Amino acid sequence: MTTNKIVVDIHDVYKTYHETKVPVEALRGVTIQIRQGEFTAIVGPSGSGKTTLLNIIGGLDRPTKGKIIVDGTDLSNLSENQLIDFRKTHIGFVFQSYNLIPVLTAKENVEFVMLLQNIDQEKRDKRTHELMEAVGLGDRMSNKPAELSGGQQQRVAVARALAPKPAFVLADEPTANLDSASTSNLLDIMARLNAEEGITFVFSTHDQRVIDRARRVITIEDGKVLSDILK
Amino acid sequence: MMIPKIAWRNIWRSRTRSLVVIGSVVIGIWALIFLLGFFRGQVDNYVSNIIENETSHIQIHDSLFKTDFEVRLFMPEATAMVHKLQADPQIMAVTERLLVNGMLASSAAAQGVMVKGIDLQQEDSVTHISGKIIEGSGFESDKRNQILLSQRTAEKLKVGLRSKVVLTFQNIHGDISTGAFRIAGIYKTVNRTSDELYVFAQIEDMRRLTDVPAEGAHEIAMLVKDFDQTESIAKELKTQFSPWKVETYKEISPDLELFNSQIRINMIIMTVIFMLALIFGIINTMLMAVLERIKELGMLMAVGMNKLKVFFMVVLETIFIALIGAPIGMLLGYLTTIYLHKVGIDLSNWSKALEEFGMSDVVRPSLTAETFFTIVVAVVITAILASIYPALKAIRLKPVEALRKI
Repeated sequence: MTTNKIVVDIHDVYKTYHETKVPVEALRGVTIQIRQGEFTAIVGPSGSGKTTLLNIIGGLDRPTKGKIIVDGTDLSNLSENQLIDFRKTHIGFVFQSYNLIPVLTAKENVEFVMLLQNIDQEKRDKRTHELMEAVGLGDRMSNKPAELSGGQQQRVAVARALAPKPAFVLADEPTANLDSASTSNLLDIMARLNAEEGITFVFSTHDQRVIDRARRVITIEDGKVLSDILK
Repeated sequence: MMIPKIAWRNIWRSRTRSLVVIGSVVIGIWALIFLLGFFRGQVDNYVSNIIENETSHIQIHDSLFKTDFEVRLFMPEATAMVHKLQADPQIMAVTERLLVNGMLASSAAAQGVMVKGIDLQQEDSVTHISGKIIEGSGFESDKRNQILLSQRTAEKLKVGLRSKVVLTFQNIHGDISTGAFRIAGIYKTVNRTSDELYVFAQIEDMRRLTDVPAEGAHEIAMLVKDFDQTESIAKELKTQFSPWKVETYKEISPDLELFNSQIRINMIIMTVIFMLALIFGIINTMLMAVLERIKELGMLMAVGMNKLKVFFMVVLETIFIALIGAPIGMLLGYLTTIYLHKVGIDLSNWSKALEEFGMSDVVRPSLTAETFFTIVVAVVITAILASIYPALKAIRLKPVEALRKI
C-alpha cells in the first residue's frame, strides 16, 4: 500500500567527519526517496555509511552538503530545538538496544512522547492501549523494562515510536539483540502495522531475516548507493 | 507531570549512591547546625557573664568619671536616683556603687585593686555576688571595715578568711587615706581578669574613708525587665538623669559587639565552607549519574525531549536529593541543639582557659530563627548551584553521539 507521497527526500547528500586528522567521507552523494507505506531496509557492511544515513534521515545529524526534506520540511532550515520538536512529531525511533526509560513502566514509556506533545490524558490512554495491544503486550502495561524480555522491550519501543503518529518509523538494527523467535515476532508485528495501517518503516540492518521481509532493499557501500532493489 | 516523576524515580535507580549523598547532606547540615548553635551559645555565655559580672544592662556615671576614675567625680544624689529607679516598673534591679582605685596590701604582698563600695543586698539583686562567695558568709551587718576579695587575690596576697589587709587610696580631697579591713568572704567568678581587679567593701565604710557624703556614689548599675528594651529604656533615662552619663552594656563594653560580629563572620565562613563541601559532593554524584546515562539522555533528546526539559529533569534530581536530606539534618540539628541547651555542654576540662576569656565552663548551644532561616536559604542555593553543572553537561550531549556510546 505504498502511496505516491514522498516522506523522505534525500538529494545528493554528503557527510564528512573531521573528528580525526584525516577527514572521513561517510556519505558521498546519496540520493534516495522514500514513499509513504514503504517497508525498506538499508543494508551495508560496517563503515559503509548506513548509520550516518539513518541519523541524517532521522534529523539527528546534519549533512555537510545536500538537501534533506522530511514530510515536506527542509531539515537544513531548522535550529537544533526545532529539530528536536520536529523529531518528536514526525519521526518514530526504534533503537538497537531498545533504549526504553528504565524508571517508567511499559505504558508510561509509550505515553512519554505523547506527554511531551501535551496530548490529553484520555487520548493518551486510548492510544497507549491500542498500541500495546497491537504489539501483543496488552497485559504487560505496568511492567518496567527490566521485567520484560528483549523482544518484549523492543515491541514496547515500536509502540512508543508509533505513539505520536509519525510520518515514518526509523529502526536502527532493531533485531540485532534478539533471538530468532523474537525477531520473527517483531517483524510480523511491523509487517502487519505496515500492511494494515500503512505505516512507513525504514530499517538499517545486517540481519538476513529482516532483509528477506523488506520490500525494498537499498545497499550502501563506501558512502554511496550501490543498489536499490524493489521486490 | 512526567518530568518530576522520572526525576524522582531516577534518584532511586542507584539507591545506595543516592542514600550516601542524602546521608552526607543530613550529616553536613546536622553538624553545621550544631556548630552554629555552639558558637551562638558561646556568645550568649560570654555576653551574659559580662552583663552579670561587669556591665549590667545600664549604668550611670559622671560623664568624666570613667576616664581616670577620680574619686571626686561622684553623683551626690545617687541614693535618691536609685530610689527613683526602684520605682520604675521597667527596671528589675538597681544598685549604687562607690568605686575607688587603691592598693591592697597584706604582710606578704601588695596589689593594685579597684574597690567597689556596695550595699550587699542591693548588689545581690544585680550581680548575685553573695552566690559567688566560696568561703565565709559575707558582710556581717554590725561590723565595720569588712572586705570581700577573690580567691586569686587571696592567693596572691597569701591571706585567708578573717585575715587583715590594708587598703590605701585617695579621698575626695586628694589626700591619702588608709583603712584596715578584715576579710569577710572569698569569692570566685568565671572571669579571672575581673577577679584579680575587684574587691568589695561596704559602701558606708568607703563613704566615710573617702569623704564622699551620704547618698553619693560613682556608679549606678541596673538590670531591666525586658532585655530587648534596653536601648529604649536607656534613652528615657538619659533625659531623666541629664547631665549624668547613661550607657548600655554595649556602650560600656564595645568588645561585646566586636565579639558578636566576629562570631557572626565565623558562622558565615563556616556555613560557606560546609555548603561548598556539599556542593562538590553533590556535583560529583550527579555528574556520575549523568555520565552513566549518556545513552538514555541521547535517546530522550532523539525522541523529542527538548533541552530545557532535560536540564529541568537533572536539576530536579539534584534538588530532590538535597531536599530529602536537608529537613532530616535540620530536624536532627534542632533536636540536638534543644537537648544540649537543656543539659549544657560541660567544658570543665578547659575551665581555666575559658576563665581567661570570661566564659563559664558550661556552654548551652542555642539557635535563633534567623540562623535556621539562613541555613534553609543556604541549602536551597547549594542545591541549585550543585545541580547546574551536571544539568549543563547533560544538555551539551549531542543525541547522535550519545546514542553511539555503549
